[in-house]
Amino acid sequence: MTDKKLNDLDGLENLPGFKRGNPTYFENEVIDHLISITLELGAELWVVKDRLAHVEEVLSEHNKLSLDSLSTGKPSALLQEQLDLERTQIIKRIYGRLYSKYGGDVAEEKSAI
Amino acid sequence: MGISEAIYKRGKTAGVFPSLSTRRDEAYMDFIESARNLLLHAQQEPIGEYSKLLLKNAGKSMEPDPKSTAEAIELLMKDNILKTYYRIKRTLQESFWECTYSSLHMRKNDLLRALDDAEKIGPGSVAYDLDFSIPEYATAEIHIQPGGNVNDPLSGLLYDYGSKVFMGGAADNDMFADMQASKVATPQDNKVHRILDLGCSAGVTTSALKRIYPDAEVWGIDISAHMVRYAHARALGQNLDINFKQMLAEELDFENNHFDIVVANLLFHEVPVSISRKILSETLRVLRPGGSFTLIDFSGDKSRDVYTMFFGAMDAADNGEPFLPGFVRSNVEEIMEARGFEMHPYDPDKFILAERIGFKPNH
Repeated sequence: MTDKKLNDLDGLENLPGFKRGNPTYFENEVIDHLISITLELGAELWVVKDRLAHVEEVLSEHNKLSLDSLSTGKPSALLQEQLDLERTQIIKRIYGRLYSKYGGDVAEEKSAI
Repeated sequence: MGISEAIYKRGKTAGVFPSLSTRRDEAYMDFIESARNLLLHAQQEPIGEYSKLLLKNAGKSMEPDPKSTAEAIELLMKDNILKTYYRIKRTLQESFWECTYSSLHMRKNDLLRALDDAEKIGPGSVAYDLDFSIPEYATAEIHIQPGGNVNDPLSGLLYDYGSKVFMGGAADNDMFADMQASKVATPQDNKVHRILDLGCSAGVTTSALKRIYPDAEVWGIDISAHMVRYAHARALGQNLDINFKQMLAEELDFENNHFDIVVANLLFHEVPVSISRKILSETLRVLRPGGSFTLIDFSGDKSRDVYTMFFGAMDAADNGEPFLPGFVRSNVEEIMEARGFEMHPYDPDKFILAERIGFKPNH
């Protein structure tokens, strides 16, 4: 048997995953995106839950946890700025892929006017 | 700051892996790892049964030949359940690399400085050449790791953390490496002075071998300078005296009859078959008479059915394994025997990780 035969890719090059980037497995690529979105949302939800649990642990260790302050207080200006930025990034990352076919996934945030 | 503190700035995770740069990234990767375990690993058996039923109902051949494999791919990839499975697999693979890459590159300069510092201290040593000529086959982005094994200065760290997530807990505390190393055959006279680990990547198996044979001189070689740099730092963190060197497994820079044991753990499916043949010739050359060679890798097609060929082809595509189908069809144990190894009985039913053991003849 020749090496050429042994190196036969078994049609590998025709499989969706052979291509770099974000290959599609469904005829309707929106289905691919929706599945990826649900996975990404799950990951982000878990990040938040993990963070919240960590925050509560740290605060309670220092006897500084006040449920009232969590409900009625406001984040600092710096934290609010970070949250605004992160929220935009999350939306772009999770939903941007829906528009990736024509490059809309890299569009910057824009107001109505 | 010493080497250990820089690399393990936030401590270790799962006993041996450098923690990622932020708690956020670790939480994200925890999700990916759990999702892989639940949505991929746990599904392998039931989705295999489901797939075989589809093949049977369609009257398809179960022979593992290329024609039947192509037909199986065409049939099975029309099924929405299977499309969903492989979509999820690919998304999770891309997500974990994206997060690992961005997290480690966040402190790239510190990590590179730590690797530089590690080079200057022992135990053990590392040698590489930044002008080393890398063969084209090695530039493939194996596992779709960004930059592959050779084109990112943090590839060793990326690979190590990627392995942790990919293995879903099986590699924690170096358990997988210790298990693999325990399969390595000793020479027929049980004398072990020098050991060589081919394609050592992050040096995990190399380190496990050193733990088993603490008095032996242990070498790990890899095609990537970035891999051996990290392998040395990782071994240093475990206080292990190992020599790592950038080298082609198909052009070994060692004398004839030099090693008592040579090991290749999951290397052969990452290289073209033509390179495999050269590696086997070189292995035979550097082994001393009676010395052992243990090759641990996936099984060949003679022990497979068409579904496992389909699964392998899909994994090769989704996990960036362009040389896997060629390796599977090569039935490497037969090439070993033809090259002149005295073969130990081989169990082809170990589908995922089958060890082929050969000895260099005494005459």
